[in-house]
Amino acid sequence: MKQQPGKIGIREYLSIAILMVGAKVTEDTPTALFQKVQNAAWMIPIITAAISFIPLFLLLKTMSLYQNKNLFSVIQKLLGKYLGFFVCFLIFIINVFSISFDSRTYTTIIRTFYFNRTPMVIIYAILMGVCVYGAKKGIQHIGSVAYLVVYYAVVFLFLSFVISTQDSSIQSLFPIWGPGKLEILKQSTLNLSLFSEFFLFALIIPSITSYKDFRKGTWIALVYVSIQLSVGIIIFICMFDVSLRGVGYPFHTAIRFISIGTFFPNIEIVFFVTWLMAAFIRFAVFLYINALMFGQLFKIKNFEFLIPALAAIYLLIGSIPESPYDISLQLKPILRSAIGPTFLVVSITLWLAALLKGEFKHEKNRGSM
Amino acid sequence: MKKTEAVCRILLFFLIVCLLTGCWDRQEIEDKAYVIGLGLDRSKVEGKIKVTMLLANAEVGSIQGGGGSTEKPREIVTFDANDFIAAKATGNSVISRDISYELLKIIVVSEEYAHDKDFIKKFYDILKDKDIRLDCYLAISKENASEYFIRNRPKMETRPHKYFQFMIDHGIDNGFIPDSTLFRFFKTLERGTDFYLAMYTTANKEKNPEVRSEDEYMAGQLNATGEVGATQFIGSAVFKNGVMINKLTGQETRNINILDDSTSIQDILVDIPDPFSKDKLQFAARIMKTENNKVKMDLKGQRPKIFITIPLKIEIISNPSMVNYTEKKNQLIVKKQIAAHIETLNEKLLKKTQTKFKGVPYPLSMYARKYFGTIQEYKKFNWGKSYQKADIHVKVDVEIIDYGKRTKKPPRVGA
Repeated sequence: MKQQPGKIGIREYLSIAILMVGAKVTEDTPTALFQKVQNAAWMIPIITAAISFIPLFLLLKTMSLYQNKNLFSVIQKLLGKYLGFFVCFLIFIINVFSISFDSRTYTTIIRTFYFNRTPMVIIYAILMGVCVYGAKKGIQHIGSVAYLVVYYAVVFLFLSFVISTQDSSIQSLFPIWGPGKLEILKQSTLNLSLFSEFFLFALIIPSITSYKDFRKGTWIALVYVSIQLSVGIIIFICMFDVSLRGVGYPFHTAIRFISIGTFFPNIEIVFFVTWLMAAFIRFAVFLYINALMFGQLFKIKNFEFLIPALAAIYLLIGSIPESPYDISLQLKPILRSAIGPTFLVVSITLWLAALLKGEFKHEKNRGSM
Repeated sequence: MKKTEAVCRILLFFLIVCLLTGCWDRQEIEDKAYVIGLGLDRSKVEGKIKVTMLLANAEVGSIQGGGGSTEKPREIVTFDANDFIAAKATGNSVISRDISYELLKIIVVSEEYAHDKDFIKKFYDILKDKDIRLDCYLAISKENASEYFIRNRPKMETRPHKYFQFMIDHGIDNGFIPDSTLFRFFKTLERGTDFYLAMYTTANKEKNPEVRSEDEYMAGQLNATGEVGATQFIGSAVFKNGVMINKLTGQETRNINILDDSTSIQDILVDIPDPFSKDKLQFAARIMKTENNKVKMDLKGQRPKIFITIPLKIEIISNPSMVNYTEKKNQLIVKKQIAAHIETLNEKLLKKTQTKFKGVPYPLSMYARKYFGTIQEYKKFNWGKSYQKADIHVKVDVEIIDYGKRTKKPPRVGA
């Protein structure tokens, strides 16, 4: 296989996508979904993935017109200089908060479950430090490491799921429709933010070897991640039953509970290490994309040098909320309800703009010529 | 050039400093006192609890240590405290090392305090503590927990963590005690449809207890003499909404464990009345449960109907009436007898839970869930109420896999 310098192939892209979106099953997403629709929470990722298909399809279709251009250039081209800038800036701001709160959540998990005495700021700083180092290396390096890590991450995740089934009962999934079919459908549309990261991946299109790889990778990752999320939630529902409502981070509570026989009672450290590696990749990519956005917005060419500064700002924003409850119960729901619609509206607007401007026709003419 | 070099070196120094952050949470085993058992009693002072800590000495019994240590394997300390989490700090005024709940194996609550409504309020703190793992067991002691730990003097397994681990594991395998982890406790409490069973234990033998069948004892009723510790683990305490309401004997606990698919009961030895004997002899059998129960429900009518089928594999071990089991007729008789015996035991027990406890002590409600489409319908059905008037039929599918080693009677002299 011929390697183009500075570009990533489909397998690297796929591993990045799986680690970034698939990691949601290990934080507070299962609990958040369970609080909404109780034991039908496992259906939400699948239905949401089906709904996300429409905006994602439109986005990919629009993006296919401008190969080798990233999302922000396309937005600015289609929506004009000022409106385009405004939309890009909005997406950037939402992502700033999203990365800040997410990284704070991860810090909280590490502190609560593994390093009780270390001050939060120190853990946060080290997490960010490692991710800055990764992000500064560029997307190609992140891609290679992601490809290295993804097998371990997935294998250990599913190993923990398999061991968790020892203490669970499948009956917890019933009554099958939970709070009712309509409610499930409603919550599925409200939780579009689950897969909003795919929207961000449109920013790294120029770094992917071919547009075809990007499209194929996106679909494969969407299907896989929705299944993984769904399976994870099923496992947690079967294990915790109704008490999942009060379990903040079910994955970490589960791995602290499970054991392999009596000889290996406390095995959480194995899963913790792989989870941590996945978290580093996740935030490295997140940081990289954010810096990329910032560079695009303000026309900064060597945006890699911005990464440490941006990371410091995210660290400060993430440190503002006093308790983890503020994040999980107040700020994140607001953010989630903002991300989903933005994702939907921007995708559809872009497609409409392209349609009205006749870009699709041009493309056809170009093709026939 | 020199300047850059110096800056680089200083930066490198900072990088190394980062590695030191790992020392924040360092723990020296030397420096730790691991609480293996935690006892909770009612305090004489209002609003307080009496906390007992059983601490294991890590040095004793480890082969690497060379066995040279002459220290005692355990330490026990009791005092009054507001809750058992801040008690860790108070305990340090007596115990020299840093007290930790990380290896907590068992929480023993005195029967008297478990009956108290305040118990659950204090007990909920467990979910807040970061050290306590939910695979720790809950046990109810007949006497005060403080007394229990002191009287519990195992002869062979002097290291407390090993003692409790083995005692509990084998008790659960035998079915004498329920698999009463804290995880199940809080799960049952949150579900709010059924009762929880905690293991029952005592280190105080009753005076002149009567002799019963192999599993009909409660802890303390078995008259075991010889050179053994006085501690007994058998039977269970029934919890309704986090408050203890009643007790079950070893036999009843076993039957619940057979009915409950979420516990792992392996094979148990029981005595069953011999159908061929006129003087009420009993034969011994090994019961193995390898498959899950089948539960069918009909919840439409005025009285819900519940059908439970228990598949059991049975090995007949003794044959006191010297029956010839090679005959098909005898095989059928014994099969019928076993099925009828277990069915009546279970039906009687379930009837008792319906009338006396007014709730089921294992997650039977889980099977009812699939008959409802939505949570609202299920809530409207109100399992807790409906169960009390339910019509329960237990059917036992007996498969006898072995009739024992000897098939023929020994010849009699002069016959």
